[in-house]
Amino acid sequence: MLASILAATEVVTTEVTKVAETKNPILPTVNEMFWAAVFFVLLWALMKFVLLPPITKVMNARDEKVRSDLQAAEAAESTRASKLAEYEAGLAGARAEAVALLEAARSEGDAERRSQIAAAEADAAAAKAEAAAAVADAKVRARSELTASITDIAVGAAEAVVQKSIDRAAQTALVEDYVNRSGSQN
Amino acid sequence: MIFGLEFPPIENLVEWPNLFGPAESWYGFNKIALINLVALVATSLLFLVAGRSKGLVPKGTRNLVESGVAFIRDGIIMETVGPEGIRYLPYLVSLFFFILITNIFEVIPFFHMPGNARMAGPAVLALLTWVYFIAVGLKHQGLKYFWNSVAPPGVPKALLPLVIPIELLSTFIVRPFSLAVRLFANMLAGHILLVTFTVLCITLFSATLLALVLPFSFAMLVGLTGFEIMVAFLQAYIFTILAAVYIGSSMHAEH
Repeated sequence: MLASILAATEVVTTEVTKVAETKNPILPTVNEMFWAAVFFVLLWALMKFVLLPPITKVMNARDEKVRSDLQAAEAAESTRASKLAEYEAGLAGARAEAVALLEAARSEGDAERRSQIAAAEADAAAAKAEAAAAVADAKVRARSELTASITDIAVGAAEAVVQKSIDRAAQTALVEDYVNRSGSQN
Repeated sequence: MIFGLEFPPIENLVEWPNLFGPAESWYGFNKIALINLVALVATSLLFLVAGRSKGLVPKGTRNLVESGVAFIRDGIIMETVGPEGIRYLPYLVSLFFFILITNIFEVIPFFHMPGNARMAGPAVLALLTWVYFIAVGLKHQGLKYFWNSVAPPGVPKALLPLVIPIELLSTFIVRPFSLAVRLFANMLAGHILLVTFTVLCITLFSATLLALVLPFSFAMLVGLTGFEIMVAFLQAYIFTILAAVYIGSSMHAEH
């Protein structure tokens, strides 16, 4: 009985020892932690002092260049906008000036036209008046010539009818009076 | 053995013998340490090659490195801390690249083991981040940082007995623990998933009717490999952004 108990105790002790000796594969081991720490801290130190500075230096330089290029582009864009505004303002001024010139030319042309028309009308009126005067003169001249001719014819005819000479002055006044009356009726 | 599928014990998936140094020694150099060393060397080489390239227009390696740095600077620091957080760029860039490269070994032939599927790496990074954000808090706020962290300004005094233990627990205990466990658990789960489908493919590669299922299993394996690449990047991003958030929250009492 005692022997069997001792044997059982031996078995249990052996099993417990085995379990105690079995490593848990999940738990970290010292040697792996040691090497992981060494290599990572080494990488960190290298990264801080050797590996990363050249990379960040170029990245920062590129960022700076991109930033300055963007600023230059913005400045160029602003210059372009101001030049465009200036050009558009100049264009608008030129347009306004052209319109003003056109208006001035138009009004000057109108004035010139009006003055020329007035001058032409004046010339025409003068010519018309001159012609009217000439017509009036011709009319007077024709009338006097006609009066004289009619008087001569009438006096001649009358003297031939009556076979004696008649008062020429009275006949002349009579004919003039007739001509004048008939002329005023026409 | 499950349905004829012999799955290796978990120790075989995550524990590696030392390449040099006695077993159980504190300096034993195994596969995980090698992965960490490669992460250091690969990151350093990437940055050295990128740094040698001149000119303002980035090309090739420089483009890759600058994209990573700009992603962390503009996508993480500027979004979580602001312009005053730029001084922490070296730490966060180191975190991101170190985690990303150690994670990506999950899908690299002959390694097929993410460095962070072991708790050691994530625990070290989480502890360093914990020390780092506390140091930042002390630098910016002095000893009042501890009080401001557990009793944020503006909290009614009546609530302080409730808020102080919660904040104490969440800021100084849960943060490093969750940082480490999140990264470790995600990478370990992905690793086990890939191993599972790999073992399945090997088992199905036989002259039996089971071979008909092999293409589906293989397609899953290929799909999950792509998924793990995404997870590797995502976990690096999550760890880095949380570290940035914690650092940012240490800088000002109002956080």
